[in-house]
Amino acid sequence: EFRFGSCRVEGVVLPELWEAFQAMKHTVQAQDNVTSVRLLKQEVLQNVSDTESCYLIHALLKFYLNTVFKNYHKKIVEFKILKSFSTLANNFLAIMSKLQPSQENETFSISESAHRRFLLFRGAFKQLDIEAALTKAFGEVDILLTWMEKFYQL
Amino acid sequence: HITEDSPKLLQHVKFHSSNFENILTWESGPDGTPDTVYSVEYKTYGEREWLAKMGCQRITRKSCNLTMETGNLTELYYARITAIDPGGRSATKMTDRFSSLQHTTIKPPDVTCVPRVRSIQMIIHPIPIPIHAGDGHQLTLEEIFHDLFYRLELRVNHTYQMHLGGKQREYEFFGLTPDTEYLGTIMILVPTWSKESSPYVCGVKTLSDRTWT
Repeated sequence: EFRFGSCRVEGVVLPELWEAFQAMKHTVQAQDNVTSVRLLKQEVLQNVSDTESCYLIHALLKFYLNTVFKNYHKKIVEFKILKSFSTLANNFLAIMSKLQPSQENETFSISESAHRRFLLFRGAFKQLDIEAALTKAFGEVDILLTWMEKFYQL
Repeated sequence: HITEDSPKLLQHVKFHSSNFENILTWESGPDGTPDTVYSVEYKTYGEREWLAKMGCQRITRKSCNLTMETGNLTELYYARITAIDPGGRSATKMTDRFSSLQHTTIKPPDVTCVPRVRSIQMIIHPIPIPIHAGDGHQLTLEEIFHDLFYRLELRVNHTYQMHLGGKQREYEFFGLTPDTEYLGTIMILVPTWSKESSPYVCGVKTLSDRTWT
């Protein structure tokens, strides 16, 4: 079960996400020659409060599903890693669909903080050429999973 | 004058990590000679600068300990090696992106098996790893992997085993026969990261029963 603050997500098994990504990791990361840029930097993921985590994970997963996975699909087919990709994408979709970040006034400043973190990530993404950005973002799913692990309990 | 024209000087550049001790290894390529020298550099993923690893410059051995340099668990790293042969030909090869959290394997636990008359006690010792917390104290595996637990098995005979498990470090198998050989195996498991150590095995004989019956 994931617990991003008050957001609970059941029925997703983190080791399965890891297994799916590990099957693609070498292929994808080998395509990323820009070793001097990291999109999911420390400033994006470090010291995120529980309350903030639900907003941040929702924004990140939405971006990964709507931008990264959607536009990287051709490469996935080319690399013949569709099965693992589908496992990862479907699980991300399952997590995102169960997240209900609170919209109340008193959490506005927290959601704003999460949004600034997300903009840091997206800003770095936009600074790269789209192909390089998609490859790098996909190759950094292990950084995202490592961060998500902190909110996971078997 | 060094020319970059001999990729066959060098191959299989990779990290090996066990309990967070991170060793870079490589092999001489088909064109390599015993006089070929190797120089190691490393960098943090996302940084621009490559840093030379002191102690692994122009060496002839084929391994280099980068534990200290790659010890931040929230960072990922690259290493690269430049091989130069006596003829001045060179080759440079880089590792895959490395994360010790993902890549490290777990060594067998360190256990003391204590035989008694009708039981066997097993004491698992903490395993310090070469990673320090912010306050400087040396971390243990349990502090890094919050879902780490131990699985213990005592083989009584070919068909019967006893099992114990959990997060604590002291266990005792009761109801055993005095003066009898038993085989204990103890493993470390980290489910979230799908990590499992190979077993620590101890052969133990229970003490004789000296009480007068």
